[in-house]
Amino acid sequence: MPLNVVPLKAVAVKSVALKRRGGWVPWLAMGLLTAAAWGVAPFSLLGGLSLSLLVLTALKLREAKQRREYRLVSLLQLVTAGLLGAQQAELGSSLLQGLAVLVALAGLLQLELGEVTNLGKLLRRSGQLVLAALPMALVLFLLFPRLGPFSDLGRLGQFGAAATTGLSTTLEPGTIATLTQDRSPAARVAFPGGGPPPASQRLWRVLVHGQFDGQSWRSLNAGTTEAGMAGADTAGADIAAGPDPSLGAPPTPGATQVWLSEPNGLPEVPWSGSGLPLDRHLKRDGQGQLRHDGSVGVRKLYSLAAEPALATWRRQAPTAQDLQMAAGTNPRLETLAAGWRRQGSGDAQAVEGAKAVEGAKAVALAEAWFRQQGFRYSLSNPLLPETAPLDALLFEQRQGFCGHYASALSALMRAAGVPARVVSGYRGGTWVVPLGGSAFLDLRQSDAHAWSEVWIAGEGWRTVDPTLWVLGGQTPADDPAAASVQAASTGADRAGPLDWVARQWWGLDLAWGEWWLGFDQRSQERLLQRLLGPYRDWAGALLLVAVALTLALGLAAYGWLRRRGEGDRLQQELNQLLRSCARGGLVPMPGETLGQFGQRLRQARPLLGPELEDFVGLLQQLRYGRPGAPQRQGLDRLSRCGQSLRRQLRRSPS
Amino acid sequence: MGSGAPPSLSRWLPLQQGEVLKLGLRNLYIVPTGFGWLWLGGALFLQLVGIQTQSNGSVLLCFLMLALQLLSLHLTHGQLEGLEVRCGQPEPAFAGETAAYPLIVRVQSACEGLEWRLPPGALHGVGSLGPGEHPLTLEWTPGRRGLQRPGPLRLQTTAPLGLFVCWSRWQLPTAQLIYPAPKPGPVRQVPMADWRERTEAAGALGGEGSEEWQDLRPHRRGDSSSRMAWKLLAQGRGAQTKRFQDPRLEPSLWAPDPTLPPEEALEHLCDRLCQLHRQGQSYGLALAGLQIAPDRGSSHRDRCLEALALCH
Repeated sequence: MPLNVVPLKAVAVKSVALKRRGGWVPWLAMGLLTAAAWGVAPFSLLGGLSLSLLVLTALKLREAKQRREYRLVSLLQLVTAGLLGAQQAELGSSLLQGLAVLVALAGLLQLELGEVTNLGKLLRRSGQLVLAALPMALVLFLLFPRLGPFSDLGRLGQFGAAATTGLSTTLEPGTIATLTQDRSPAARVAFPGGGPPPASQRLWRVLVHGQFDGQSWRSLNAGTTEAGMAGADTAGADIAAGPDPSLGAPPTPGATQVWLSEPNGLPEVPWSGSGLPLDRHLKRDGQGQLRHDGSVGVRKLYSLAAEPALATWRRQAPTAQDLQMAAGTNPRLETLAAGWRRQGSGDAQAVEGAKAVEGAKAVALAEAWFRQQGFRYSLSNPLLPETAPLDALLFEQRQGFCGHYASALSALMRAAGVPARVVSGYRGGTWVVPLGGSAFLDLRQSDAHAWSEVWIAGEGWRTVDPTLWVLGGQTPADDPAAASVQAASTGADRAGPLDWVARQWWGLDLAWGEWWLGFDQRSQERLLQRLLGPYRDWAGALLLVAVALTLALGLAAYGWLRRRGEGDRLQQELNQLLRSCARGGLVPMPGETLGQFGQRLRQARPLLGPELEDFVGLLQQLRYGRPGAPQRQGLDRLSRCGQSLRRQLRRSPS
Repeated sequence: MGSGAPPSLSRWLPLQQGEVLKLGLRNLYIVPTGFGWLWLGGALFLQLVGIQTQSNGSVLLCFLMLALQLLSLHLTHGQLEGLEVRCGQPEPAFAGETAAYPLIVRVQSACEGLEWRLPPGALHGVGSLGPGEHPLTLEWTPGRRGLQRPGPLRLQTTAPLGLFVCWSRWQLPTAQLIYPAPKPGPVRQVPMADWRERTEAAGALGGEGSEEWQDLRPHRRGDSSSRMAWKLLAQGRGAQTKRFQDPRLEPSLWAPDPTLPPEEALEHLCDRLCQLHRQGQSYGLALAGLQIAPDRGSSHRDRCLEALALCH
């Protein structure tokens, strides 16, 4: 066997006319893209564009025959992956998109390299290319100046909405009861740099129901705002601030809440009621609702920074809307409230026209009254009558769930002349510390909850939860639903094995979200300030130098990876051993075969004897042996043998 | 989306000359392919989407595509850099038929996606070549007899991603001997006796071709119509071609038919000589200013055909 001579091929290299087939690799990329497109809202502009492109690419692939057509298919696949990346940023989708990019590149490589048909080999080559290009891509990602959106076309995903299960803009008895029985995930929230709030403060608001017609509470922001009722909404526009996105704005602190919200069919998303939106898609309104202007049918990943002062919406003065009461619809409730009004005003004689009772006093009176009535928390309630439903609830039925009691309390407050409204969202959640990724609070649809907000002069909107008054005298064992509410408020865990697995994944998902969503125009500005300080104007030069360096690094890394990953393993093993021998002054003579060199080596280093014999025998067997022998095991044995020989040669170089 | 450089650009770039072509910075050219421009457009589109939606996913993919393109510029160039090409010794071939032209390609590290083209032919792929020397056979179709050089040869690659095409053009230095295209037809036979007499008397060649046919075989496509047995065809016995055989065992000399255009006459003579060689007969060649005495065997045939290829 020649030791280090590259043999001249006996047969001339065969040329083939260039008409290559793409094989099934492009179809694999199509499959991955289809999986990654799962959940994209088809009627949104970007969603529609991505899905159309996906279909067109599949059709093009079906009819492709020439190399240039397959190339176009690969490019379309990359663009589709990019479009999907603009809509779905969670970990699972991002992984699928990344894999699709890798396979699309493998398809391109196959077209150029021709004879490589092994998918593993193609993927390895594709991975090597991506690894080599990644440092430069990351430098550009971190340092290339970010621009803000060109126009309001940023609301690319806002057409249409596929409604899914979740909270409703109309709060009627029974609506939330249905949700309580649903254990599907609602949202996850991580708190970077800190733990979760105490269990008693875990109220996550979504919708504010300010319009009351005697039977149901409606959200004013449901898109059907009537003229004359728009006070709350327009007031909200003023505070829908978030930090100034201009580059001159002072740097804001990092995210303190990172949310991953499941599709709920609404633009409103859960939040704690306090925090500065870090996402341009997020807007707070004057009622304390947080809206995401992305597509409503998809998962949303968003983050909020700590807000130093009291949230603006808490101080937003009530409007006439917050006192509106369909007079006469619940006469007994109104009579009760009138009594509080008299007590609050101190005028026992005046029944009609008494001034409104002070908010805090009214709440105290209501709490005392609720606690005395012996109300019972239950999800299985008879339907309330159409006329005077709240009278029936408070004075006859005396059982209900959070939606009932929040509706009743808010109506009582309004009847007593105190501005009040109903808020729906989630309560509690389970604190999960996964094995990897971020710890997070797991909110389920069964954590859906409703409570009241009452205007207290000098304080603002106060959160009042009458359900807790009701539960005060009842043990959780009496009612599973009540147990659910109490468990949520104490953070007790009720997870099964599948939940455990899902939570580990969500932990990683949120960690990804924190990192991935955390980098934006402001983060880039902070990074440049930290890197360059007073030499901020040199950012362009820094970018150029960094690109040049990473290009050189990428080329070197690619060359190294290629040399390492490809080539003749047997020759590599032999070369390594020959190098070790050469260090000890043992070099093959011209014309010497491996066997002869092995004999000479054995004479010079008797200790190497048996292992050297093994090595030479294995090498010759693998090189010239019958095909079908277990090649991989043989290679592994040869590698181990070579390692041991090299070690011995190092120990005794002469 | 073609993978070649624009023809107008190639025309303006110098053609490499010399016995050995060693590819390097001075003789390699690289430009983006049509697909490369489209790739750039796709990346910019993703950048616009990323800016508009403030999405990190699209922005990162855009930068990854740009980085791959920049990297690809060097990788594509690196495929051909250091490649050394020299000609082998080409075997003679017939005009109008596919001729094999040997090259020796010496690769330093590795070369992927190597392609070649000899105008006006199509692009041919070679694939990946490891380190070492590799014989490479170019196939081309010479149009004329004589010592012909195919080319210029274009060596190119678009590997690894097809975003750039890197190429060089080389005027192949070694000529290949091309015999006339063998085409059946009338030739002139000069009987040995006549030839001896005439060459002795006047030094001129003369004589008639064989007019006696000895056998028939089914007519094949390409057979000369002058050999068609028209009488038998008229009798309804099918298309038959007459087989002529020299009635005398004495070898004869063959010369081009003077009534035909010279090139055509040489093509017919080439065909006749090949036929005689296949039949194992002895034959000689009589050309203006050159006579080759009758003989047999491959080397004799090659001598005769070379004389035909190079005669003026």
